[in-house]
Amino acid sequence: MRRRAYRTDLAGLLVLAALGWEGWGGQTPRLVVTDDANRAVSLAHPARRIVSLSPATTELLFALGAGDRVVGRTTWCDYPAEATLVPSVGDGLNPNIEAIAARRPDLVVLYRSTLDLRAAQQLLQLDIPALVLKQDRLEDLARAAQLISRLTDDTMAGDSIARVMLATARTPASALGISIAFVTWDNPPIVIGRDSYLDQLASLAGARNVFHDMAAASSIVSLETIAVRDPDILVTIADSAERHPEPPAYVRAPAWQAIRAVREHRFVVLGGSLFGHPSPRADSAVRELRQMLRGAR
Amino acid sequence: MKWLGLGGVAVLALVLSVALGPTHVPLGALATSDIVRSIRLPRGVLAFLVGGALGVSGAALQAIVRNPLADPFLLGLSGGAGLGAVLAIAAHATGGWAVPIAALAGALLAMGLVYRIGLVGGAELDPRVLILGGVAVGAFAGALTTAIVSLANAVELRNAMLWLWGGFGSASWSSVWVVCAYLPLPLVALFAAARPLDLLALGEDPARYLGADVARVKRQVYLAASLLTAVAVSVSGIIGFVGLIVPHAMRAVWGRTHRALFPAAFLGGGVLVTLADTLARTVVAPRELPVGIVTALIGVPAFALLMRQWTAR
Repeated sequence: MRRRAYRTDLAGLLVLAALGWEGWGGQTPRLVVTDDANRAVSLAHPARRIVSLSPATTELLFALGAGDRVVGRTTWCDYPAEATLVPSVGDGLNPNIEAIAARRPDLVVLYRSTLDLRAAQQLLQLDIPALVLKQDRLEDLARAAQLISRLTDDTMAGDSIARVMLATARTPASALGISIAFVTWDNPPIVIGRDSYLDQLASLAGARNVFHDMAAASSIVSLETIAVRDPDILVTIADSAERHPEPPAYVRAPAWQAIRAVREHRFVVLGGSLFGHPSPRADSAVRELRQMLRGAR
Repeated sequence: MKWLGLGGVAVLALVLSVALGPTHVPLGALATSDIVRSIRLPRGVLAFLVGGALGVSGAALQAIVRNPLADPFLLGLSGGAGLGAVLAIAAHATGGWAVPIAALAGALLAMGLVYRIGLVGGAELDPRVLILGGVAVGAFAGALTTAIVSLANAVELRNAMLWLWGGFGSASWSSVWVVCAYLPLPLVALFAAARPLDLLALGEDPARYLGADVARVKRQVYLAASLLTAVAVSVSGIIGFVGLIVPHAMRAVWGRTHRALFPAAFLGGGVLVTLADTLARTVVAPRELPVGIVTALIGVPAFALLMRQWTAR
């Protein structure tokens, strides 16, 4: 009932604005932002019940001090530990609108993708405001911090976290003289390209991603391309969150021996959520990656 | 003369697969290059063997079900193999030979099921029952695969789908040896059945009058062709359309005698898949396309042309 009234107010406001009637004293949305899908998102009051549909924004919300307002998360949100106490609404990529609505959110934060845009549209029909955010690089998350903090009415926290992340993004460490390739899958071999957080992490840590020229976030390549680009170190991604996981089994396959880094057994295995998505912990991610690369050299 | 031509094309396809790649290896260095020896050459050879297996298997299955639309994957094998592979990927068993073995097991399981359905009520592998059973088993396995994929995590989902599209990204000499060790038995079994298969083209009853042991031939051919497909799918994923279009193209040149058709289909299938893989590796280099997409892009228009010919008749 309340939401319908609000919508009527909004319609009324538009009519009044069209008439050029200023100084109207009804309830206006106090908090308005434009999200990364170019949609205007407006709230009448600061968000108090937030469903976050990506691990990056869940972590960000906790960092912003709004962890107690998170009422829904995805299965993949495992940081910080408190986040796992929040009920999960599914896997986030193809959101379950009913599960989200059941959490009675007054704000849903989504990752910018085609499926999520459709979900945002459906949420809007249920009068649930949805904020669609790009979350691919550190700069995206800095902007996300600012937009979310506008809607939680805590711009100071948002601005300061954004400043920290932008500072990290703008001050790469000195070059290590190490070239690396991120390999995320073996059959077919998939590597990480430029349009990704891992590529950004590599350059911030002072290493060179040998697939930086590939614009996509990730891509299938042939083994011979990896062999010829000759990275000093092969960086793989582990599913598990353990600190020092083993290199994946496929590197023992004969065909992979064509790659020098494999022959010389130079691997770095990234585990856990620290490297998986941009976060306020980017600074430690950069430091840790740099340290591991140095150790593997 | 036509054999010489096909042999020449086959050699050319293999040479191209070794000479061309996403990176430039000078012609003079081809013989000594590590990349050629340990990556390109096994990959080219494996693509050729898999293509050949699919070509022969398609020709054989089209003969026993006497349906021009039959292809190795029509009989549910791709569904079974896909289910096996996706199960292994979802269970994180992706090291070494886990995925190929799981795919092989899935394909063999599907084959067993369809075979069993084909014998229902003493039907002795009635072609219609085989096709319907294959489609049903394939659809069932496909539904299970989709269920697993939709419940798996996003990265695995994508990777499992990529596996299903087929490719030779993990080709190595050991996979070539495994296929080499495995292919002769079903190939010999099919070749031995070449003559009765020619008779079978006349219909089961005429074939029987002419002295063919129809039930045994059908069993032998069905099992051998399925085994060929199963081993192909286990090392390369699902590469569609090869087993469908290659036998038709070869029949147009070599006629319907299986003693000639089988070797021709082997070479033709090998050529098609080797060339498709070379394209997959090079057209968007340094990126790569799943080879199943390339064969489908070539195969679908060819398929449309075939259908036009038949309807024109």
